Amino acid sequence: MADTAKDRREKLLLSGNEAIAHGAWEAGVRFGSGYPGTPSSEILPALNELGEVYCEWSVNEKVALEAAAGASIAGARCLVTMKHVGVNVAADPLFTMSYTGVEGGLVIISADDPSMHSSQNEQDNRHYARASKVPMLEPSDSQEARDFTMRAFELSEQFDTPVFLRPVTRICHSDGLVEVGERAEVPLRGELQKQPEKYVMIPAYARKRRVFMAERTRALVELAEHDEINREEMGDTSLGIITSGAAYTYAKEAFPEASFLKLGLVWPLSPERIRRFAEQVDRLFVIEELDPFLTEEILAMGVAVERVDESFRIGELTPARVREMIAGEPAPDTTADEDLPPRPPTLCAGCPHRSVFTLLRKLKAYVTGDIGCYTLGTLPPLQALHTCLCMGAGINEAHGMQKVRGHEAPVVAVIGDSTFTHSGITGLVNIAYNAGVSTVVIVDNRTTAMTGGQVHPGVGETLSGMPGRALDFEALARAVGVEDVRVVDPYDMAATEAALRETMASPEPSVVIARRECVLMVRERRPAPDFDADRCTRCGACIRIGCPALWAEDDGGKRPIPRINTALCTGCLMCAQVCPVDALKAPEGAQEGNQ
Amino acid sequence: MVRNVLLTGVGGQGIITASTVLAQACRLAGWQVKKSEVHGMSQRGGSVNSYVRFSADEQIASPLIPEGEAEMMLAFEPLEGLRQIRQATPDAVVLVEERRIVPVTVNMPGVTYPDDVIERLVASGRRVTVVPASATAVELGESRAANMVMLGALATQIELADEIWSEAAALVLKPRALEVNLRAFEAGRQLVPAGV
Repeated sequence: MADTAKDRREKLLLSGNEAIAHGAWEAGVRFGSGYPGTPSSEILPALNELGEVYCEWSVNEKVALEAAAGASIAGARCLVTMKHVGVNVAADPLFTMSYTGVEGGLVIISADDPSMHSSQNEQDNRHYARASKVPMLEPSDSQEARDFTMRAFELSEQFDTPVFLRPVTRICHSDGLVEVGERAEVPLRGELQKQPEKYVMIPAYARKRRVFMAERTRALVELAEHDEINREEMGDTSLGIITSGAAYTYAKEAFPEASFLKLGLVWPLSPERIRRFAEQVDRLFVIEELDPFLTEEILAMGVAVERVDESFRIGELTPARVREMIAGEPAPDTTADEDLPPRPPTLCAGCPHRSVFTLLRKLKAYVTGDIGCYTLGTLPPLQALHTCLCMGAGINEAHGMQKVRGHEAPVVAVIGDSTFTHSGITGLVNIAYNAGVSTVVIVDNRTTAMTGGQVHPGVGETLSGMPGRALDFEALARAVGVEDVRVVDPYDMAATEAALRETMASPEPSVVIARRECVLMVRERRPAPDFDADRCTRCGACIRIGCPALWAEDDGGKRPIPRINTALCTGCLMCAQVCPVDALKAPEGAQEGNQ
Repeated sequence: MVRNVLLTGVGGQGIITASTVLAQACRLAGWQVKKSEVHGMSQRGGSVNSYVRFSADEQIASPLIPEGEAEMMLAFEPLEGLRQIRQATPDAVVLVEERRIVPVTVNMPGVTYPDDVIERLVASGRRVTVVPASATAVELGESRAANMVMLGALATQIELADEIWSEAAALVLKPRALEVNLRAFEAGRQLVPAGV
């Protein structure tokens, strides 16, 4: 489409995630699966919204990819979405699906998060493409996110391979103008044929497929040599830049006059094409975010690339960082004045997790944590979460700690409801089976809160809004062999404290389910507590629960006095429950017990 | 020419909604536009930044505004405006909501919310206008429309027809909230004198 003002008005303004969904929809995808994870979470809901596609939140990324493997073998085009660390969970099927290949095209979205805006690490998933021998495309804006997704389905079927698409946070969560088309009706491919030599990876069959994979990679290198998914943009040849994805946009911003080799296909690479480009330019840089993946590949081709400082291997690039890498111009100083109070993310006012962490702090527990909003329990003033490794790890860390320190060690595992279904269940089985003693607290807020409130098996509703069978955590815990299973309301702090004290003291394994809906999902608010300034001793107990609706104001008294931001307060009354002198209490006329 | 707007504030203030209305308005004008922000953990009451870049004639490469090149800044909270001020050009137009949102970190010893945030913004040499967005929205009976008051204030700096703004708002906002939001937008426009 020509790019006039009129054409632009007819395009759609789409985020990278919406554009991926649109591309998959246009490509006739029939099956979408994934597990929520920033920055990938919006893709499947957008695909579901477009219609005509079966979409599901699977229990975890491994399940999502394996279900898609089945749908692909059955002939359907499939989209599987996850964040970068989700690929670790899905890596087991991934490496062997590279051997089996596909029937219906299968595209895996690995949404990477340089700078760790919402992640526990910034692993560079281009390594997965090379390690599993699966081709990988990298879009640099929303239009390419749509176009490359469509192309990825074609390549998948043409080359009999899963295909990775790797957007990063700045692609997923950036909006741009996108020209879209209609959905192509792509029928199920072939009959449901039994092909054990292709889909049963016993050694005898796998060895044959391994040879096929080598041929496939050679054919993909041939494609990389000629295909327009990679493109040269020749300008001033005194500076040549090989780049891809978001890094391309920063380099183009910083050096609009330079010559570019922009790679859409980042694995495998064509040495011929790269050498040809290198020969045409005087100085050659590779501009890439995170690891020197392209740099090392290109150096191994015998092409000389200028060195950049190792500090640029950490975090997102920006136009100014690219200028610094190439021209040595220091980036402008944009740091804020040092005396400004930071504003980190916090547990919301009324968050049910707050009472659990307030109590675990009081009980001096060593808390092995997990991935979710509740990880914020580690920050001051709560400081009541002491490990966070990966999805489901906290339960197993607690088990390991208590095997070496004994049940007297005040160790408690805290895990969210969605995370528990994702990868906590196996840990609970392990504790019961191996005569563990740990206390596992499931902070069950009936949603996947951190990623935007997605449903999960415990909720009993599916992505498409259909009723699903709800996973019964209490029955599950008993079924795996944990006998001490309790359900408490975290807004009732006395009952929650009693359950924690008793289970921590017990030499038996236990599960405490602290169940209360995420405050972001609850519409009605209850009135803020009454505050009696004359009773208040300014002890600070209420302030130390870290509620954003409370602040300590210096009014000239001996210590600051608490103030309530009634616009933020949800009336959970946790502050009233920790107040030792009843200066904060349920407002007049409110029901006793705050139920 | 590519023009750069930085919208900054606190998670939950409707910043991303406002930046989406702006980006849709640019599209409807037939301009190039890119917008970028971060979702997820940072939205839990933390600092939020949204970048909008647009141009009537040029392609836009980076979704991020190059460091120090925001020529317009819409600060939904004074402290967040001050935190980002060095992202703005030396003569940038800075429109800043007067209402403070005190971060929970001030409850820790030695951490205070500075008294002179607006003064420091002015002293930075940028063209600062204080916008009573929340107060205006409350007067209109919808405190959540403060983001549209801010966007209306920004509209004084961008050459777009009235009907483009209202069409963009209609694309982004819920129908039942549209009317009051458009009134908030208009009120915001009246708060900023022409030619700041």
